[in-house]
Amino acid sequence: MHREHPIDELIRREKETEPNPFLVTHVMAKIEGAKKMRHSTPLWQSLTLAAGMAAVVFLGISIGNSYVENGTTAVALNINDRQIENLGYYNFGDDEQGQ
Amino acid sequence: MSDEQLIKEITAGNDTAFRTLMERYQRQVFRTAMGFVHMKEDAEDITQEVFIRVYQSLHTFQGESEFSTWLYRITVNMSLNFLRRNRKKRVLQSLETLFTLRSDEKNPLEEMESAERDRRIRKAIDTLPERQRMAFILSRYEELPQKKIAAVMNRSEGAVEQLLQRAKENLQKKLSPTIGK
Repeated sequence: MHREHPIDELIRREKETEPNPFLVTHVMAKIEGAKKMRHSTPLWQSLTLAAGMAAVVFLGISIGNSYVENGTTAVALNINDRQIENLGYYNFGDDEQGQ
Repeated sequence: MSDEQLIKEITAGNDTAFRTLMERYQRQVFRTAMGFVHMKEDAEDITQEVFIRVYQSLHTFQGESEFSTWLYRITVNMSLNFLRRNRKKRVLQSLETLFTLRSDEKNPLEEMESAERDRRIRKAIDTLPERQRMAFILSRYEELPQKKIAAVMNRSEGAVEQLLQRAKENLQKKLSPTIGK
């Protein structure tokens, strides 16, 4: 009886091994995934976002710089409401303390 | 549909054509990878990597050689890269398979002997010089003619014949004390 050489036998067994039947599907899914990643954030979108953020920062600084303080000291004094919020008003009267 | 037609379709954006191409060649790539790594899971990983690379670089394929020759070249290079990347992991895996192999036809002792013999043969193939190993795997796993191997390896047919002869001698030398000629 012919006996197969061990090297030939090993090679035959390894050659008979079948790949996963879903291998093609896996590869196609990976390729699709990579394509979607590439298409999900096109360059123009990234650039628009960056330009928008830069514009908001610039606008904020411009508005901040354009503010001019135009209040006067007198008006500032008027804002102090010490005279209308008389602290004595909140003190209990002598007649109330007895109760 | 011929390979050339499929490639034209793929470069025009037809993914179904790529699926057809992959179905046509996946076994060839898988078998070649098996020759280098000897493990189904690793060979599948390499096959996936190969086809993703093919998809990404198909536009660079000039058609000067046959598509299958180009594909074999990519497979061989990626298998060798895979081995370089996973050297340590593979030592552990080969020991693991020695203890996990099961067969209903053999008793435990025969099973151990058979696993040990397989391990020695794999090691003998894996320790062949790189060019001898490439020629040996393409010749024995893929049964390619010397002319085709020469095209894949960019060598003359005479050089391939020499490589195959040396590979055979080396294997005999490495295995003769334990495994019959």
